[in-house]
Amino acid sequence: MVVSPVHFIAVPLLAAFLMPILAKVNKNLLRIIPGIVLTYLGYVSVVLMNRVATEGTIIEVLAGWSAPWGINLVYTPFTGFLATLMIAMSFLIWLYSFKFKQVDNQPALKYFILQMMLTTGSVGLVLTGDIFNFFVFMEIIALSSYALTAFYRDRNGAEAAFKYLLIGAFSSTLILLGIVLLYSQVGTLNMAEIAVRMHDVPTPMKVSILILFLVGIGIEAEMFPLNGWAPDAYSQAPSPVGVAFAALVVKAGVYGLVRIVYTLFDLDGTGSFLVVMGGITLVVAEVTALRQTSLKRMLAYSSIGQMGFVLIAFGIGTHEAVFGAIFLMFNHAIIKGLLFMSGSYLVYNTPNKEIKYLSGYGMKMPLISLFFSLGALAIVGLPPFAGFWSKLYILLAAADSALYGLIALILAVSIIEIVYYFRVVGRLYFGKAAEGSIMQKPTVGGVIAMSILAIAILVVGIYPDIITGYIDNAASAILDTDTYIKNVLGAVNEITPVENIIQ
Amino acid sequence: MENIDINQLLSIAVFGAAVGLILIGLYAVLIKKHLIKIVIGLSIIDAGIHLLFIAIGYINNGTSPIFSEKGISLVNEGVKMVDPVPQALVLTAIVIGFGVTAVALSLVIRLYRHHQTARIDQIKTLKW
Amino acid sequence: MNSLLLIILILLGGAVLAYLAKRITPMLSSIVSFLAISSATAVFFTMTSSTDIVEVNIRNFTLEFGLNAYSWLFGAMVMGVSALVSLYNIAYMKGKDRLGYFNSNFTLVVMAMMGILFSNDWISFFIFWEIMTWSSFLIIVYNGIEEGKIGTKYMIFSAVGGYAMLMALVITNSQINSFLISDLISSFAGLDMGMQSLLGILFLIAFSVKAAVMPLHVWAPRAYSDSPMSFTAIFSGLLSKMGVFGLGIVLISVFAKSTNSNIIVYTEILAWLGAITGVMATFYAVIQTDAKRLLAYSSVAQLGYIVVGLAIGTKLSVMAAIFMAVMHAIFKGTLFMVVGAVERQTGTTDMTKLGALIRKMPWTFVAALMSIIALAGIPPLGGFIGKWMLYESLITSDHYFLIVMTFLSSTAAFLYSYRFLFGIFLGQEEKEFENVKEAPATMVIPMMLLAASLFFFGMFPGYLFEPIANSMEFLGMGQVDWSMTVLSNQWGDQVDTLSIVNSIITIFGIAFIFLGLKNRKKTRYVTTKDIHTGGEIPTENENLTYAVDFYKPFERAIEPAMRRKMDFYYNKFGNGLESLFEFVRRIYTGNGQTYALYVIIFLVILILFSEQIFL
Repeated sequence: MVVSPVHFIAVPLLAAFLMPILAKVNKNLLRIIPGIVLTYLGYVSVVLMNRVATEGTIIEVLAGWSAPWGINLVYTPFTGFLATLMIAMSFLIWLYSFKFKQVDNQPALKYFILQMMLTTGSVGLVLTGDIFNFFVFMEIIALSSYALTAFYRDRNGAEAAFKYLLIGAFSSTLILLGIVLLYSQVGTLNMAEIAVRMHDVPTPMKVSILILFLVGIGIEAEMFPLNGWAPDAYSQAPSPVGVAFAALVVKAGVYGLVRIVYTLFDLDGTGSFLVVMGGITLVVAEVTALRQTSLKRMLAYSSIGQMGFVLIAFGIGTHEAVFGAIFLMFNHAIIKGLLFMSGSYLVYNTPNKEIKYLSGYGMKMPLISLFFSLGALAIVGLPPFAGFWSKLYILLAAADSALYGLIALILAVSIIEIVYYFRVVGRLYFGKAAEGSIMQKPTVGGVIAMSILAIAILVVGIYPDIITGYIDNAASAILDTDTYIKNVLGAVNEITPVENIIQ
Repeated sequence: MENIDINQLLSIAVFGAAVGLILIGLYAVLIKKHLIKIVIGLSIIDAGIHLLFIAIGYINNGTSPIFSEKGISLVNEGVKMVDPVPQALVLTAIVIGFGVTAVALSLVIRLYRHHQTARIDQIKTLKW
Repeated sequence: MNSLLLIILILLGGAVLAYLAKRITPMLSSIVSFLAISSATAVFFTMTSSTDIVEVNIRNFTLEFGLNAYSWLFGAMVMGVSALVSLYNIAYMKGKDRLGYFNSNFTLVVMAMMGILFSNDWISFFIFWEIMTWSSFLIIVYNGIEEGKIGTKYMIFSAVGGYAMLMALVITNSQINSFLISDLISSFAGLDMGMQSLLGILFLIAFSVKAAVMPLHVWAPRAYSDSPMSFTAIFSGLLSKMGVFGLGIVLISVFAKSTNSNIIVYTEILAWLGAITGVMATFYAVIQTDAKRLLAYSSVAQLGYIVVGLAIGTKLSVMAAIFMAVMHAIFKGTLFMVVGAVERQTGTTDMTKLGALIRKMPWTFVAALMSIIALAGIPPLGGFIGKWMLYESLITSDHYFLIVMTFLSSTAAFLYSYRFLFGIFLGQEEKEFENVKEAPATMVIPMMLLAASLFFFGMFPGYLFEPIANSMEFLGMGQVDWSMTVLSNQWGDQVDTLSIVNSIITIFGIAFIFLGLKNRKKTRYVTTKDIHTGGEIPTENENLTYAVDFYKPFERAIEPAMRRKMDFYYNKFGNGLESLFEFVRRIYTGNGQTYALYVIIFLVILILFSEQIFL
């Protein structure tokens, strides 16, 4: 069977639309179909990753219109890596939520459909080579997220979803405005073509468009001060959705930022802008996380902080820094996934999901507490777990660029992180559990998903070379704009001259 | 001479209207407290942007970008076709905006049922 | 297989097995941990040689492990003491819960220490350092005292130290493009002055935290006293020596050829801080009523001496410092084991309540006696030799005020040494402790073995001098003269330890035999309750032992110096930060429109300032 990148978009989309019909046939099908789809996509990713490692970038032309007129999917080592990561995380989320709402199948149907749409949107966004297509996928992600956030009726989901919608609408408005202005200047929607023609755009216009994109995509990427929606959304959504936000949505947002800054625009000051904004995001988020009393909200703020860290690394811009940033994205996805998954079981039956009720759970739920502690140790960056290597690489890159103050800042913030994570871990492992506290037994799927993540964290921590080859290629791919353009457009010389088709 | 004047006036009017719509919508979203007014504001912003987009793609005295007999004959006479891309994009954007408005309104209904108020500054259970 | 790798793997496997063995029976996990550590010790002493090198390649850097004379010395200390403590641990932890968790972390700590000692490059050093940090954290919170505040404090300080090291190693790599410790040593003097000062401070902070030097010591007293005693035996005895190990590398090798005047200032300051730590911690130890707290403060004080020795930097002082470090590990390990045994048998360590355990726990008393004699620096045991060399070196290097301070704290150390012995073992018997029995053999044997080694090193310090001299040579200090039993100073005076010991043994022996035989007929057996005072015979319930407010006059005398604790300032700082964070938190007001407003404001700011930002 011929595998191609378009399967990433077509198959889950098809599955999402067919699920209501098939669910009427057999109730169990609705849970199994996402599994089948994601397993198949996993197979596709593996094949394509191998192919791209040997043959180079894969360009898929849709509907016969080749670049720069048509939409094409660009599967580079970088985008492929992200797509594989997203598919893997979606698969684990499916495992984790396999028994979701077993009693009443109607909501479960909508949940699985929306999860499929979320997957479609995220993977599509990463793979596309056309900027309006990018906008469309962003909207698919956004709509699915609004609906998933508001999923539970008895929580404050509606409030969180409305805030998310309000700010998300701004995000789409700004991106659309940016696309409009960009189109009026370069006359094309193909990313590679835009990159070529960007040099001819007058600078004030370029800067304005860049600002529009930065703010618009920054909202999805949880940059400060655009991330007001994030804590509410993460904490009120169902836990598997929280994992999806951390592993899929925000990764897509950061990818968007990176693509815009690295490939499309060529302004010098953007790097330091990203470093500064990333730093502010990191500091504000971690500081706020320290004062949280609700576990999921604390994890949400921590997630925002890690994304700030990723932005800093992308802002530094050297090969080592980008390598560290991509590694950190990978680590964050698996570690935050584990933390959200185990954390939600820990606070399942506590009122308001407060931390102070967690005393002594280490004895009563030993496996889940072990997973949570593993995640906490890993995300702070302690060896021998995965988070250490990414932090080390980013700090090495910062030292090579002589950004000593930045190193001190990052490490000081890490100490704050240690305080609030270890507060929870310490509370888990000593103290007496309150009488009458009911433990929630995790489902088999949940345990399997969490174990896979835990093993991944340990393996990558002890032997990072498993992953570093792919990440190295990914870093080279994103930094090398010319190769990207060449691959998409054929050869740089054959570009059609800009026709004056706009007044 | 007269044609150009009218065309310029026309383009100023359209662009002005688009920007005006965006600003009105922005006002509604940022200042108004009632949830429904905010949602209406979002729609108005969308309308403004769509108008802006189409206006950017318009060529003075151009014809519609359809390959019909009349269209092709006009092109052979030297009349340009209006850019079709913005029109396609705006169609997509209208649909997206419609979807977002629908979700927003359903959320408003849920919020009203839950909190018994539709004012956004009184719905603040999730903070800090 | 390479012996270094074998040791690490044995310990790691032991940790995992100890966790799993709990399912079978809790005791098994303590036994597994003991077996792992002792087999690793056996491997260490028999199979290792300084030519073993292990290299692990990770992407573009190489982690290198090896054994040199300096790390062999510390390794021997770590392995020997841990093996004995793990034997003690079996009986100490009997009957407590969550043993799998405790024992696996215990073994992990030992593994991490050996990993640190084997590291030849900074990255593996850091990796194992952090493993040591979090596994010791997990044990500190085991007792669940005070809801983990001490655990958090420990973690923060250890993190500050660890991250200072991380920052230093990252900057080092960008400067000299290598992670090897030996490369840093050889090229440090070639870096520019500002870089040398920065790296110097960072490394010193990193290791001073672990070695509990003022003002980074506030985590130590509570952490030492609130952890389970078998762990504290390694915690205060060995983990702190990791800081000493690092300080040795930095102060002696790295700073050696540097001509930066700032560096010299830093080492002077460090020496002073070490001396101040010694004095203040001793004072605090004197006024304690709880035996565990007393020992904890005393540990901090002893570490202060060691740091002074290292910081002064002459051959004799470094030798003294390392000798004292080894001695301290041994006698502090024994003392904490003693306290743990007392705690287990009687249920308390409050010295105002305990008393007269000498009859009931004689072997424990002997071990405690030997250790206290060593701690106080009385010949013929090991501590005397270390202290003697330290005083010599301070005098010969013209640090007169430091001499005064060190003498002061050593003298004050007599006070708490005596208190410890008296408060627990001597005095009148309490009724509630009538049925206390001696600690089980598995607890007594390690204590006696360590105490015997104190005696041994006191008589034949040369057995310790040889490895120390080798390690000092490795560190770059050049040849050191030593001999098996004779200490000599630069003026030619000699202290012949063997003859001292022989004469002491002879005198005591003659005295005992003489007194014993002479009054044989007249001696009768009495209980410790048979006393009278002022002509009156107290009843059974009255206890006339002077136990409470033991050193009140002393307390009154030093009160001005003790008015403010360092802890107070840290707490204030922490509270200030928390209120600042609370203020920052209010940014997220919860009103959706406000968030939208933030977006628009941000957009406007960016557009207004676009030239500055982007061009």
